[in-house]
Amino acid sequence: MKNIFKYLSIGLLGGVLFTGCETSNLDLTENPNALTPAQADPDFYLNEVQVRFARVVESLGETGAEVTRIEWMGSRNYQNAYSPSGFDVSWEDAYQEVIKNARDLTPIAQEAGLTHHVAIAQLIEAYTMTLLVDYFGDVPYSEAIGGADNLNPAPDSGTDIYTAALALTDQAIANFNSNALADPAIDFYYDGDWDAWVKAANTLKLRLHLNLGNTSAFNSIISGGNYIASTDDDWQFQWGSNQVQPDTRHPNYAQNYTVTGGGDYASIWMMNLMDTSDDPRIRYYYYRQNEGTPGSNDIDGDPVAPNEETLDCSLQSPPAQYTAGGFPFCTLDNGYWGRNHGNDSGIPPDGLLRTAVGVYPQGGQFDDNSFGETSLGTGGGGAGITPVILASTVDFWRAELAMNGSPAAGKPFILAGIDKSIMKVQTFASLDATADLSFEPSATDVSDFIASIDAAFDAADDEGKWNIMAEQFFVALKGNGHDAYNFYRRTGYPTNLEPNLEPNPGAFIRSFFYPANAANTNSSLAQKSGVTDQVFWDTNPSSPTFPVAN
Amino acid sequence: MRTNLNGILTLLLAFVVHLTFAQEKTVSGTVTDQDGLPLPGVNIVVEGSTSGTQTDFDGNYSIRGSAGQTLLFSYIGQRDVRVTIGASNTINVQMQEDAQALEEVVVTAQGIKKEKQALGYAVSEVGDELLEQRAEGDVGRILTGKASGVNIQAQSGLSGSGTSIIIRGLSTFSGSNQPLFIVDGVPFDSGTNGQTQNGQGNSFVDGNNGSSRFLDLDPNNIESVNVLKGLAAATLYGTAGRNGVILITTKNGAAGTGQAKKNEVTVSSSIFINEIASLPDYQDEFGNGFDQAFGWFFSNWGPSFDRDGVAGWGTQSAIDDAGTLAHPYSTSTSAIQAAFPEFQGARYPWRPYDSVEKFFKQGVVQTNSVNVNGSSDDGSMSYNMNFGHLDDQGFTPGNNLRRYTVGLGGRAVLSNKITASGTLNFANTNFQSPPVAASTGNSVFGTGSSVFANVFYTPRSVDIQGLPFESPVDGSSVYYRQNNSIQHPLWTVKNSKTEQDTKRVFGNMALVYDINDNLNLTYRFGLDVYSENNITSQNKGGIGGSVATQSGILQTWNNTNTLFDHNLILTGQYEISEKVGFSFNAGATTRSEKFDQNGVASSGQQVFGVLRHFNFSLFEPIQFLQERNIAGVYGQLDFDYDRMVYLTLAGRNDWVSNLAQDNRAIFYPSASISLIPTKFIPGLQSPNGVNYMKLRAGYGTSANFPTGYPVASTLILDTQNFQDGDGNNTVTNVSANLLGNPNLKPELLQELEFGIEARLFDSRLTLDASYYSRITEDLIIDRPLDPSTGYTTTQTNVGEIKSWGTEVDATLDIFRSSEPGGLNWSLNSNWFFNESEVTDLGLDTDIVVYAGFTNLGNAARVGDPLGIMVGTRIQRDDNDNFVVNAAGDYIEEEGLFEIGDPNPDWVLNVGNSFSYKNFNFNFLFNYTHGGDIYSRTASVLIGRGLTTDVVDRLNTFILPGVKGDGTPNDVQINNSTFYFNNVLFGPDELGVFDASTVRLQEVSLGYSVPAKFLDKTPFGSLSFTVSGFNMWYEAINIPKGTNFDPNVAGIGIGNGRGFDYLNGPSSRRYGFSVKASF
Repeated sequence: MKNIFKYLSIGLLGGVLFTGCETSNLDLTENPNALTPAQADPDFYLNEVQVRFARVVESLGETGAEVTRIEWMGSRNYQNAYSPSGFDVSWEDAYQEVIKNARDLTPIAQEAGLTHHVAIAQLIEAYTMTLLVDYFGDVPYSEAIGGADNLNPAPDSGTDIYTAALALTDQAIANFNSNALADPAIDFYYDGDWDAWVKAANTLKLRLHLNLGNTSAFNSIISGGNYIASTDDDWQFQWGSNQVQPDTRHPNYAQNYTVTGGGDYASIWMMNLMDTSDDPRIRYYYYRQNEGTPGSNDIDGDPVAPNEETLDCSLQSPPAQYTAGGFPFCTLDNGYWGRNHGNDSGIPPDGLLRTAVGVYPQGGQFDDNSFGETSLGTGGGGAGITPVILASTVDFWRAELAMNGSPAAGKPFILAGIDKSIMKVQTFASLDATADLSFEPSATDVSDFIASIDAAFDAADDEGKWNIMAEQFFVALKGNGHDAYNFYRRTGYPTNLEPNLEPNPGAFIRSFFYPANAANTNSSLAQKSGVTDQVFWDTNPSSPTFPVAN
Repeated sequence: MRTNLNGILTLLLAFVVHLTFAQEKTVSGTVTDQDGLPLPGVNIVVEGSTSGTQTDFDGNYSIRGSAGQTLLFSYIGQRDVRVTIGASNTINVQMQEDAQALEEVVVTAQGIKKEKQALGYAVSEVGDELLEQRAEGDVGRILTGKASGVNIQAQSGLSGSGTSIIIRGLSTFSGSNQPLFIVDGVPFDSGTNGQTQNGQGNSFVDGNNGSSRFLDLDPNNIESVNVLKGLAAATLYGTAGRNGVILITTKNGAAGTGQAKKNEVTVSSSIFINEIASLPDYQDEFGNGFDQAFGWFFSNWGPSFDRDGVAGWGTQSAIDDAGTLAHPYSTSTSAIQAAFPEFQGARYPWRPYDSVEKFFKQGVVQTNSVNVNGSSDDGSMSYNMNFGHLDDQGFTPGNNLRRYTVGLGGRAVLSNKITASGTLNFANTNFQSPPVAASTGNSVFGTGSSVFANVFYTPRSVDIQGLPFESPVDGSSVYYRQNNSIQHPLWTVKNSKTEQDTKRVFGNMALVYDINDNLNLTYRFGLDVYSENNITSQNKGGIGGSVATQSGILQTWNNTNTLFDHNLILTGQYEISEKVGFSFNAGATTRSEKFDQNGVASSGQQVFGVLRHFNFSLFEPIQFLQERNIAGVYGQLDFDYDRMVYLTLAGRNDWVSNLAQDNRAIFYPSASISLIPTKFIPGLQSPNGVNYMKLRAGYGTSANFPTGYPVASTLILDTQNFQDGDGNNTVTNVSANLLGNPNLKPELLQELEFGIEARLFDSRLTLDASYYSRITEDLIIDRPLDPSTGYTTTQTNVGEIKSWGTEVDATLDIFRSSEPGGLNWSLNSNWFFNESEVTDLGLDTDIVVYAGFTNLGNAARVGDPLGIMVGTRIQRDDNDNFVVNAAGDYIEEEGLFEIGDPNPDWVLNVGNSFSYKNFNFNFLFNYTHGGDIYSRTASVLIGRGLTTDVVDRLNTFILPGVKGDGTPNDVQINNSTFYFNNVLFGPDELGVFDASTVRLQEVSLGYSVPAKFLDKTPFGSLSFTVSGFNMWYEAINIPKGTNFDPNVAGIGIGNGRGFDYLNGPSSRRYGFSVKASF
């Protein structure tokens, strides 16, 4: 019996150990579902940095456009119009995707002599950081991307970040000018044109110097001539038309060209400005799905009955501040169907009625009076662009500097900017292969329009001149409202912007709440009490005194 | 099933009175249990003499005795029966189970059997009579209300949907709080893989249909369930047992108690109706529209169905004199107009259609089970085998659950001191359902589809069944809204589905070697492997979700989950002195868990309706692997002094494979003591006062290890990130969101537990009360990081949570008949609460939102109970007044404000059982007091003007509060504006309701056919039961007309609670069952 026990226990223990071999491996710490950082490829990093950067620019640019009425904002209250969590994605994209990967790329690229990789990463970092400063004020930078070493990076002052960004831009320029051992596999912006990259870098410096009020530095770059002066050198991101795996479409196109029609509304202020001034870009910017909007006249001048189902405000009377300022309320003639600033009503079944985004810059449909229904994939399929910095923008910057001295001095720059903008926009019509391009404005239409602006500018008083300049700047900025938001805070123009539907919307947003994923997690970053904190370069009077139009 | 009147016995008793002469004779008869089955081994003695005998294998006995003498029948676990010998030579006895038997033996951790009075911690036991023949096939749901301290919540009323079980509240928020399942002594995976792909977690946003894997157990095959609640009870299971343990003994696992038993076949069969329990109470006065004006909206704030009055349809230009509208398909998109020429110019009557009511159906639930057991004549070999079948049709079209199980268990006591036993079970569970994804009351907002997203708020004037749902041109979804922006619910039912087909094998093999009378050695091997085949598909032409979903999707993947468990235990039992007993257990174990997922996700369907991968244009891999091994050694020492004082000391050391070397091992001790004052304080015990009292105290510790690979930092490769100018896909690699933390340690849990158990008043009242307090330290926080650190999350050890609670179980026998078949009425209730407080989250942060959305979810906040709900609130001014805007609506203040606490204040379950003659009647009420729920179902039903709650809608409101300038609000808004702008799409706090609910959880009426009627039939016993499940409930503080049932886990089976995103109604079941044995 003793023997049996012995054999049995040996057998059992052996069984446990043998079969338990698989079960007793106590070192399973490596994740089989991903690569390790040591397996990284610099080109793969750079691809991510470039594409994600475009998404950050697009997303924040849309917000800047909304608050400046280039696009529609759907909240009656500035304080709560943009929730902190609404910026989570942009913040994460900016830091955790763009900058983190740019930083991870840099040492391996430097070691391999890939200086052009490094240059792109540096310039994109500089742009991204200053973009964040312009929207949020003081943000983490010197302590950022510390990983486990610093889980609560403290914000740096906007001034310091601007200074660092200018230095980083200079390093980028040096690297662009260097000889790289190999070039990036894909350059989404300039396809390997390093001179163009240098111009882009200098143009970013123009923007920063303008915000800093450093006129001499600005002028010295202008006189150097090595900046984006021609639309050929426009810094922009080209989207594609692939819908899934991957979705390469312009994000704003994807939102608006769906099987149920539009997902967003156009700004009444912008459409009205362009329609009433015969702006030749209007057919590129907007696609009308309908000939007439309830409560207004259709394209033939016939009145369209108000409609409670599709546009309930067509039965309502305008608020006092609209009546007083003469702002169009709710509805526009000629089928332009959008929303006023602050309109937060529920969404009626108007997806196939409201005005959709057009062929510029989203790659949608060109408005050829077909008044059809937009749908998934129609028009340019979303193969539009996100402007990063355009040549026309530089003209308006120069106009602003000139007008600071004497408002009348801005005119040539304004007209140049308009001209560049129109020429650029007109090249987009061909994206919409099915459009009837006979509806494209003629050269005469264009010159008539520019002439009318010229005349109106001359006729206007100083404030009027500024307002015209600002309106034309905003129109030219369609697709990225970042510079409009900066300009509006720098100058307060235009003073005749459409007000919020809410008579007391609270003070205008001078900087946005920190994103929830930062303020809620970073003990060194206290959430702001409101949206009236001014970024460091915004030295104008505090809200609500400034800006005038609210 | 209480005792039955035995007619023969009564007659005999009557005769006894008339018979006075005594003469020794042979008395014989049969002893049966309460189900009428023969009981072998019953002790029979003639009181006052030395003669005695035992029943044989068939329950028969014979004994010599004289009339007037008393026979005492006794058997472990049964009440003693005394019968006086009368004139007859035959005495048949039916014995009753004695639930309070002193010597009750309880199965504890690692299968160690102990007397209940020796336990220094709480154990709840649920017997098979509370589990069998139930209308629910999910053992988790059947346990609802039957064990104190256990909180059970259904994900929804869909047949086969997941079930959450939480014992003694949450003690962690990063790890799982679901208990360990041990089936027949070995671990059993009870996870819920709700359509999880590539380790992405259960995305309730995009859809998370999936069963909790204890659904693979057939409740009819369960012999008993023991719930080990505290850490002292579960120490020997180590880290796996930290959330409590559900110990299940199946009938196969219970095979053979070493006693001879007759071969027996038991068959039970049930049929139930399954229907929606939470259908809203719709009003039929108003239809589709807004502000009493007609429109093809989502909302039902339109004109009245009466022609006259201010809100009458007579004023509507869209509605003609005959009360008809232009047919929606004649005014909709150009595609719909072209596809439906028959509706062009057609009219559509303006009336209520009651179409939601017609959308749901009555499902039929059928269960059948067969159990066969028996043993060899000497009882040394025994076996049990069974077959179970469940066919559960949901009340939702397209939802059903089918399961069949077969199992075999056996045990043999060999002559060489070895006992061999084992079980092997196979289960096939097939769960099918249309997809369910989150909706806030506005179609889906994720990438998927949801069958419930667009049903409940269907305007009364919209006819779901009468409006074609598929375009005859291309099969795409069509519906009434004029830009066709709602996916027709019937299209979803027909074209969209999810399926989980699981084949599972589990069982164990054990060898026990009796080294000598005091020592034995056990080796036990446990195996649990399942292969879960998942399908998610939708034909092209859908409306909601992502573009990929609209293009048609087919995702198929297999999850193979493997659990191996080896266990070697040495057990000894010694008497140190006459009064001091000692026993010990020492064991070593290894356990391996492996989850291996492989599959393909396709999109871009080519030919409509064909759901095979070849018919799709784009493919993505689904692949995920997670492995973890745990090794442990453990020991337990038990001492008892004169069966009055019991002391247990235990400890376990675990090594876990996914942490860095230094943090892999941890030791957790426990100690518990049990005192029986009624034994050592003689005056304490009296027959009509205190019959028995036990005091107990326990201290236990455990640890919570992370899952996955939290130590490693990784790089994520994406081969389809973007495309270059030529349309070629570009590849990216990016630093992962997770910052690996090599310093991560396990969480430490400690618990102190005190209890008192007593039987009073001739054992009419039984009490069992526990108080516990628990601390979790070194909390593993899935800490969200500011992305400016370069990462978005890391796992780290900070902070502390305290929790405490009380559980009271009481049984009161109100009527207790001394005669078999008399009236018995007993009340069986339990009451419990659990409180918690987050006491520390480390230095860096004071709030972590860990479930739901970052801006609306469950949070841990220092000083608050774990799990408070945070979201936006109504803006307050400096004086704490609500602030309204110029439109008269509340201003929504963004931020993480506390908007509710989902944790119930307390739970009371009251079970009643009556029995009289052959009838028994039982019911179980459940009351949950407090706990909040953010219910989009309730919000949308009132916010879109559908239910009787909002039928009075012609008046205006002024919301209490102040305007922006501080003056009192005087802006009038109408009813629809209040509910739509404020409750439905306003501050989150207005969407929170108190979830207190009273519920008739179960009710049943049974009849067992008296044995005398069965004498000439092959039946040993036969019983019939009519029963119902969730027959009635009332959520007291939720708008009545919504009839919303808060028993829903809107964000899935996890640590989130208190959210509902139109995830599904609850189910009511009732029907009939029969059980027979041969």
